[in-house]
Amino acid sequence: MNPAPDTGGPRGAAADVVLSAEHVSVEYAGTAPTRAVRDVSLELRRGEVLGIAGESGCGKSTLAYALARLLRPPARLSGGTIRFHGRDRDQPIDIMALDAAALRRFRWSKVSMVFQSAMNALNPVISLRKQFGDIFAEHVPEMDAAGRDQRSREMLEMVGISPDRVRSFPHELSGGMRQRVVIAMALALQPEIVIMDEPTTALDVVVQQEILDEIERLREEIGFSIVFITHDLSLLLDISDRLAVMYAGEIVECGPTEQVAARPAHPYTYALLHSFPELRDERRQLKGVPGTPPDLRAPISGCAFAPRCAFAFEPCTTLDPRLRRPATLAGPAGSRTVACHLHDPELRPGGPPAEIARSGERTVFALTSREDR
Amino acid sequence: MSVLEVRNLTVEFAQRDGSRLRAVDNVSFELRAGETLALVGESGSGKSTVARALSQLLTPSGGQVMLRGQPAGQRGRALRRYRSDVQMVFQDPFASLNPSFPVEHHIRRPLRISGHPRAGLDQKIDQLLEAVNLAPPRVMAGKYPHELSGGQRQRVAIARALAPEPAVMLADEPVSMLDVSIRLEIMNLLDALKRDRNLALLYITHDLATARHFSARIMVMYRGEIVEQGPVDEVILNPAHPYTQLLESAVPHAAADRAQVAAQRHERLRQRKAASAASAAEGGEIAANTGCRFRARCPHAMEICATPPPDFDVQSGHTARCWLHNRAPSAAPAAEDLASPHVRELSAEPAFLQAISKEKN
Repeated sequence: MNPAPDTGGPRGAAADVVLSAEHVSVEYAGTAPTRAVRDVSLELRRGEVLGIAGESGCGKSTLAYALARLLRPPARLSGGTIRFHGRDRDQPIDIMALDAAALRRFRWSKVSMVFQSAMNALNPVISLRKQFGDIFAEHVPEMDAAGRDQRSREMLEMVGISPDRVRSFPHELSGGMRQRVVIAMALALQPEIVIMDEPTTALDVVVQQEILDEIERLREEIGFSIVFITHDLSLLLDISDRLAVMYAGEIVECGPTEQVAARPAHPYTYALLHSFPELRDERRQLKGVPGTPPDLRAPISGCAFAPRCAFAFEPCTTLDPRLRRPATLAGPAGSRTVACHLHDPELRPGGPPAEIARSGERTVFALTSREDR
Repeated sequence: MSVLEVRNLTVEFAQRDGSRLRAVDNVSFELRAGETLALVGESGSGKSTVARALSQLLTPSGGQVMLRGQPAGQRGRALRRYRSDVQMVFQDPFASLNPSFPVEHHIRRPLRISGHPRAGLDQKIDQLLEAVNLAPPRVMAGKYPHELSGGQRQRVAIARALAPEPAVMLADEPVSMLDVSIRLEIMNLLDALKRDRNLALLYITHDLATARHFSARIMVMYRGEIVEQGPVDEVILNPAHPYTQLLESAVPHAAADRAQVAAQRHERLRQRKAASAASAAEGGEIAANTGCRFRARCPHAMEICATPPPDFDVQSGHTARCWLHNRAPSAAPAAEDLASPHVRELSAEPAFLQAISKEKN
């Protein structure tokens, strides 16, 4: 197990933290269990947007489901604790210890979720009024039908949809409107944490921007924290305060978004940042990240990214890198962590290679420019 | 050299109430050998319908498609020949391959249909798999779709499209279902194939960044019409149509700092609120299919926009279907027609162009 459960939070500022996960591991049962999340520790601070990036199959969604305790067999939490630090109470709630009734009360009212596909998250055969009504009937039993209708209308209005739409069915709404409805549902009980799993992936850029703007406005007005999961790193650069990059079920780098973007410390982050063209930049040859993530059913020796890593050296195939705060990164102490041997002064006394150590400004890495198209 | 020429392509769909929905309206363009043309626009703008009409998966209601100067074959052998010349790569590689057949089957069939002799089929299949970097080809040929990753499946779909040795490839959102990290590999592959085989490539996407990086020319589609087209850098770095400007500004700005991003976000929210209040005040009476189709969402809308705008030249080879670029005011309705005060300040063209160039700096 890694020593410090830390993703870069200032120590001793526990009051600031709304959700803390320590050494969380999740397995999918099978003849050889798939270790989808491996010993992940992170902290979500009050009011922040924590972005989680990584390719498909890196365990992002599994982690999100674990945080909301939504895992269903064959997935199971094989280790770790998740604590919720409520606004109005001194004692943190141990989410894993909640019994069925307490979990029902807790879920959605404290931690809610926006699922990946709005198309599938809404029930196609009942109206929006009924779907909102279900939430209030379950969690606010004292509310009468008129009250539920009133609240449903308010929620729609809050996300910029005409209140009369409560009569609509999901198929009568556009993709963007459906996603707004799903967000409104997640906010219906004013939770302190909203977990968003690829909330805009199926939408086009203009609608995506509208949704992101709306999310930010609501966060400023209502004040909740967001765990924002996506494979689109360019989106997280825009919306997240802090960024955690996952690879093969582990967090490999975490830190303030601006710093990570300006100077990625892990070769995987570096590769991800260079795998999409920037709209307004000079045109140049970009490469993506060759290869695929490892099979998580098989044991991994050394660093999971080593086979795809352009900077891998001898210890990477044998030693498991731990998430630590490297001295090679400037900035406030402890604000950034990375799991990579390149930053280990004992293994690599000369420091990380120039590409990683220097500024991460994208232009520095301009590869051959392209003369013909 | 123009390989495929499309003139006034129109596609209409019958609706339940008997009316007809015009999904593609008088679209004209040409595809040139060895060149990528990007077609961008939001969901529902008609991009995919253009591709489906060009591959004759649906019958256009009007217009002409010319392949190497000859009208496209409509039926029988002529249609088969046309289809082997114009191939398509679909968006979803999880749906476009048959799960009950191995990779080999997907490539053997188009080879046979396009008349490849039985002898040497296996070698040809191997060549095609190698061309899309699926190695070793004999092993890959025996795999089933479920054994492949999304990127590998899309490579199979590309190999399948290459099998009849087409002159034109229509790629409909070929990477939008794939992970960001492998999108570039597929785009680089398409780019290399286009260059090596002198393919005319139509790249349909809603991602402006890859459109810019992998194409020479671009067309922007909005509700069935091409509203702007021209050289790709020209259109994306100096967008002329307000819709293109909206698309361009919606792309996340990785380089911007957080405070700036927040300020821009507040400004957009304010504008959107004002726009929705304004349209509510007007009772939402802007009919959908009269005049400029973008005018209900357009920050620069003016009275003349109720008249459908023609294509105006912005620069040579760069046109925009927008009254703001009308440089011959005498040809337009008289200035009094634009006299409503809030319209006047927005519609003065020089001020507008100044504003754009200021934003750019």
